Amino acid sequence: MRWPETRRDKGYIPVAQSKVITFHPQPDRSACAVELRGVHKRYDHFVAVDHLYVSIREGSVYGLLGPNGAGKTSTIRMMIGITMPDDGHVRLFGEPFHRRQLRRIGYMPEERGLYKRMKVLDHLILLGRLHDLTERDARDRAMKWCERLKIASWTHNKVEELSKGMQQKVQFIATLLHDPDLVIMDEPFSGLDPANAVMLKDVLIDLKKAGKTILFSTHRMDQVERLCDSICLIDHGRAILEGDLKKIKASYGKNHVQIECEGDPHLENCDLVQSVNNYGNYVEVQLKPGADAQRLLRVAADRVRISRFELLEPSLEEIFIDQVGKHQVSKHA
Amino acid sequence: MHNVWTLVKREYLERVRSRSFVIFTLVMPAIMAGVVLIPATLDQMSTGGERKIVIVANNPQLASVVGQQLGNPRTQTQPEELGKARAAKLYSIRVDTDTSEAERARLGQQVNAGQITGFLWLTDDALATHSVVYSTREASDFTQSRELRNAISTGIARYRLSQKGMSGPDVDAVLTPIRLDTMRIEKGHQGASGTAVFLTAFAMVMLLYSVVLIYGLAVMRSVIEEKSTRILEVLLSSVTAKELLAGKIIGVGAVGLTQIVVWVVFALIFSVPGLVAAKSFLGEMHIPMPAMIAFAVFFLLGYLLYSAMYAAIGAMVNTDQEAQQMQWPALIPLVLGVVLMNAVIQHPNSAMAFWLSMVPFFAPILMLLRIVIEQPPLWQILLCLGLMLATIYGLLSLASRIYRVGILMYGKRPTWPELRRWLRYAG
Repeated sequence: MRWPETRRDKGYIPVAQSKVITFHPQPDRSACAVELRGVHKRYDHFVAVDHLYVSIREGSVYGLLGPNGAGKTSTIRMMIGITMPDDGHVRLFGEPFHRRQLRRIGYMPEERGLYKRMKVLDHLILLGRLHDLTERDARDRAMKWCERLKIASWTHNKVEELSKGMQQKVQFIATLLHDPDLVIMDEPFSGLDPANAVMLKDVLIDLKKAGKTILFSTHRMDQVERLCDSICLIDHGRAILEGDLKKIKASYGKNHVQIECEGDPHLENCDLVQSVNNYGNYVEVQLKPGADAQRLLRVAADRVRISRFELLEPSLEEIFIDQVGKHQVSKHA
Repeated sequence: MHNVWTLVKREYLERVRSRSFVIFTLVMPAIMAGVVLIPATLDQMSTGGERKIVIVANNPQLASVVGQQLGNPRTQTQPEELGKARAAKLYSIRVDTDTSEAERARLGQQVNAGQITGFLWLTDDALATHSVVYSTREASDFTQSRELRNAISTGIARYRLSQKGMSGPDVDAVLTPIRLDTMRIEKGHQGASGTAVFLTAFAMVMLLYSVVLIYGLAVMRSVIEEKSTRILEVLLSSVTAKELLAGKIIGVGAVGLTQIVVWVVFALIFSVPGLVAAKSFLGEMHIPMPAMIAFAVFFLLGYLLYSAMYAAIGAMVNTDQEAQQMQWPALIPLVLGVVLMNAVIQHPNSAMAFWLSMVPFFAPILMLLRIVIEQPPLWQILLCLGLMLATIYGLLSLASRIYRVGILMYGKRPTWPELRRWLRYAG
């Protein structure tokens, strides 16, 4: 399905076509590192990406979220020309997609690997060469990175002789060697040991400070909350929530309450309450829409002794589950 | 092009530097040399020392003629140079005219005691029945019994002819065997002998077959390895699937060419003495220039054709085991080409040979064979090359489509309908 030219030309992106909520005005197009316009990808009868509109501002950290099989990897693959969309357009750095723009992109796929029998330095030089670096330049940069990540003494070993953690470091270096303006990482934290996860996070923050655009896809919400400026939540190939993370969370309001108390307040049957999670030390309550937290406090205080009562923003995980659930309900309706 | 070159360089250097390449390149000529040299060496070692043979005959003249004949190099099975040197001391002949049974028993004891190698019962009675007995402990030595049979037949003929009054040189002239040499006619000139042409053709075809097979499989395994190490998606962020495929096929092919060149150089250096020795019974070993060019062309085309198929198979599967089950579409035509070789060698001009050599999958083997053993008309060669190029083009584009989709697919092997859909995907 194509949108009429006039609407597109006005810069209006109809993300709200179904149940999608946008939380930021359409940004200036020239400042977009990636822009997907109605991108569609179908494998036989299975729609992997369903007319998706995404804009990623330059210099932002963008999270592509969604359950497994939502279409995250398919979307990323179309951004960097591994596959072509059946419909719609991909724009990179304000221009229509062209392979020569790939030298400005560093991509670390979820399925990552290296030639096991190649020497580390040779391998990095190879990948640098494929991103149009000269051999000498690739070698210098590789050595610098290896020193920074403390694997400089292993550069003449074969990849298979390195520990898994060191191989992961080599993989990061390979992604960042050509100093890309846009870094795309598909599930970057999966399979990382804790030390490397911290190191990767630090590297990403440095990149952000240097003005690079970072896109990563994940289903681990805690990392998104800490790192991302903006998110796009996709399910069944459709964007169901897109925009600035802070605004999204604010719009959900403070409808969560944490109660620290002695004993169980038994709030399940209270007509103010949507759901209750009893964690033992405290109880977390989601209020029904429009319910007043003060009334809940009074109800709870009647039943147990309360030591703490706090209103909270919902976690991204809850928003995620809420949105995916709603989406599925509306889909089946 | 820059990317393809980088990939070719990697593929080539990684392979040529690998230990297995070096070992294989060195071991293969050693095996080849071994096949030629070891039997000859063993043969020389096994002949042992002098053979003491007693010829028991009523007619001492006949016996001594047979004895001389045993020492005559022409009855030897070995090449003449070796035969001459050996014959003089190989046999020590004693003629015995005592044809009694007692003498037979005594000689039998001597054989058992190892005093003599054996005795030949060449009595008049035996000659009348055309059946002669040689008693020895080494009854299984076929070479020796053939030498003996030749010597006895020729010796008796020689004796009888001279008895009829024929002079020595006349007898020689009658008894010299005729040697048949089949010569190939090349552009009206007389060329190499039939045996040499056949051996040349056979060697070239087998070399082509084995190198195409080895490097076709190398392409397949390399694709599987890239799939299983999950490097492909990393590479695909900067190169296209087509560039990857081209880099792989060209890189591996260059390794194959390198190996052939190394082997040819080896062969030239080490087989020169062997060739000199072989000359006496093979005639001139002679590889005409057109055959060399044909070999190079058909190797390249054959390699492209089969490696495209192997690359596609590699992209479809996930493990070597799966590949084993899937590689028959590439393996069967190649093996069939070798199987059909015999039919083409026997009737290189037949309609069947023509049609078979036009099939692009058999052409690398059968057309090469025809070019080496006869000279097919130019139009046939050109038609064959045209058909091959068209097939290679088709196969490469088919393979690159399968490859493009297959390298990103992990898990289950595709079914045929799925494969058909892969070919239709946009990209």
